[in-house]
Amino acid sequence: MKRLIDFLETLGALGAFAWQVFWSTLTSPRYFKETLRMMDVLVRRCIIPVGLAVAPVGAVISLQGIDVFKLFGAERMLSSFLGTAIVREYSPALASVMVAAQAGSSIAARIGTMKVRGQIDALAVMGVDPVRYVVVPGVIACLVVTPLLSVITNFLGIASGWFFAVPIGGVDHGAFMEHLTAQITAADLWVGLGKCALFGLGVGVIAGFLGLRVKHGAASVGKAANDTVVNTIILILLTDYVVSMMLLGMGL
Amino acid sequence: MAKTEIQTHGLGSGPGAGTAGDAAPAVVLENVSKSFGDHHVLRGVSLTIRRGSITVMLGPSGTGKSVLLRCLVGLLKPDTGRVLVFGEDVAALDETKAKDREKLFAIRRRFGMLFQDGALFDDMTVYDNVAFPMRLHTDLSEAEIRERVIDKLHRVGLKGGEQKFPAELSGGMRKRVAFARAIALEPDIVLCDEPSSGLDPVMSATLDELIMEMHRSLGITFIIISHDTAEAKMVADTIGMLANGHLVAFGPKEEVFREDHPAIHQFFARETQGPIKVV
Ligand SMILES: Nc1ncnc2c1ncn2[C@@H]1O[C@H](COP(=O)(O)OP(=O)(O)O)[C@@H](O)[C@H]1O
Ligand SMILES: [Mg+2]
Repeated sequence: MKRLIDFLETLGALGAFAWQVFWSTLTSPRYFKETLRMMDVLVRRCIIPVGLAVAPVGAVISLQGIDVFKLFGAERMLSSFLGTAIVREYSPALASVMVAAQAGSSIAARIGTMKVRGQIDALAVMGVDPVRYVVVPGVIACLVVTPLLSVITNFLGIASGWFFAVPIGGVDHGAFMEHLTAQITAADLWVGLGKCALFGLGVGVIAGFLGLRVKHGAASVGKAANDTVVNTIILILLTDYVVSMMLLGMGL
Repeated sequence: MAKTEIQTHGLGSGPGAGTAGDAAPAVVLENVSKSFGDHHVLRGVSLTIRRGSITVMLGPSGTGKSVLLRCLVGLLKPDTGRVLVFGEDVAALDETKAKDREKLFAIRRRFGMLFQDGALFDDMTVYDNVAFPMRLHTDLSEAEIRERVIDKLHRVGLKGGEQKFPAELSGGMRKRVAFARAIALEPDIVLCDEPSSGLDPVMSATLDELIMEMHRSLGITFIIISHDTAEAKMVADTIGMLANGHLVAFGPKEEVFREDHPAIHQFFARETQGPIKVV
């Protein structure tokens, strides 16, 4: 019972925090330089892990799929399956999960460390709202960088799928390309990007929230980073499932 | 402990007391109390700090001197009482309301604060730390900022090493950089939480001279927390003494020293027996 109340309290605080972040984004002062710096940091941190995570997925889909499709004599159709799977599901989910793991944890740890060392207080006394200066830039950076990364993972995932389907699997290149572009609609792309933006937003807000909640000690900084990763990944996968079901239901 | 409070609310006329007679005082505390759980740290503290004064707050460790400073800038909210900064009640501002939040941050911009442990940004160089408030709150060009940063660093006795990171400095150096950052914008009120602890006597005296110089030339109001009675004698025009949550003395330096309150006597005579209990 006590845990339930604690949980609801935390949820309420998170809601209020999210509102404060939203409000701070709409009003000045804004710190553009810090936002750009955060984006730069996030791209550098995430691009290689994200690439490493998605490339094997494209390869596996091709390797596994090609045998199944061959049973029906439909290996020319492989690319349409590969394309939708990567663009709609794997690429957004993997990009978001990697952003949660890399960016979310480092943002939470950075803010938590600043809190423990009194730097958040120092900012506040300098008349700088810590939410505006350290949280909002991180949230915006996650919101922008996650979709950007998913564009890259789209290409990488499909390229690695192509590699295992065409030169290795013997599928005709022309057929591969034809079915690939025929099946992926603009809606697919937008859905993917939209999900990434949503997940990125969630990662940024939760990382900021847990980072600022750190009270004392290095251990609680580690815990904030850890909690950020676990909570956001669970949230991403659950939301992803719900959103996919809803969109399929709507015929998108 | 003795519950008597000798509150000598004297408006002494120390150096630099000439500013704005009718305007609100820099800081007024009215019956400020603060507890953490059942640990009563401040038990009804009232005092007035004139504009352009240098107040040194003395007191044993753990009596709530830092807590008092944090209440002044709204980092802590007192349980009771008012905290008036230039007439505005900081304690009444509700940080969860956007309007109050803006007000609080506007008031804070009139402060510079040297935290007890410096609180430098450790992902920034010394230079960037001192430049930080100028970059955020002024329209100065990078060249003008550079000139001021170098000047401030020179004043605190740091030449070279602007490109070092806080982790590469000694504790005393960090403190001096933090002081340079606190005075970077030449604010109305500068709060210093134990500026001299961790500094060698020569450096400590240099910092005291700098405080007096900033006070003379810019009329900055200083509120300084210290353990160091020599420092108090040198820089203060007003002296306060916190013990066991009470302000046991507050007033012009000469009066407070004359009064020979048991707690003050004990503190200055460095005696283990007296009203100040070591818990
Ligand atoms: N945020 C806090 N939470 C709980 N207790 C605190 C907090 N800040 C200070 N205290 C307690 O208040 C007392 C006074 O602390 P402080 O003002 O730092 O003392 P000092 O006079 O040495 O600066 C100490 O006993 C400290 O443990
Ligand atoms: Mg202290």
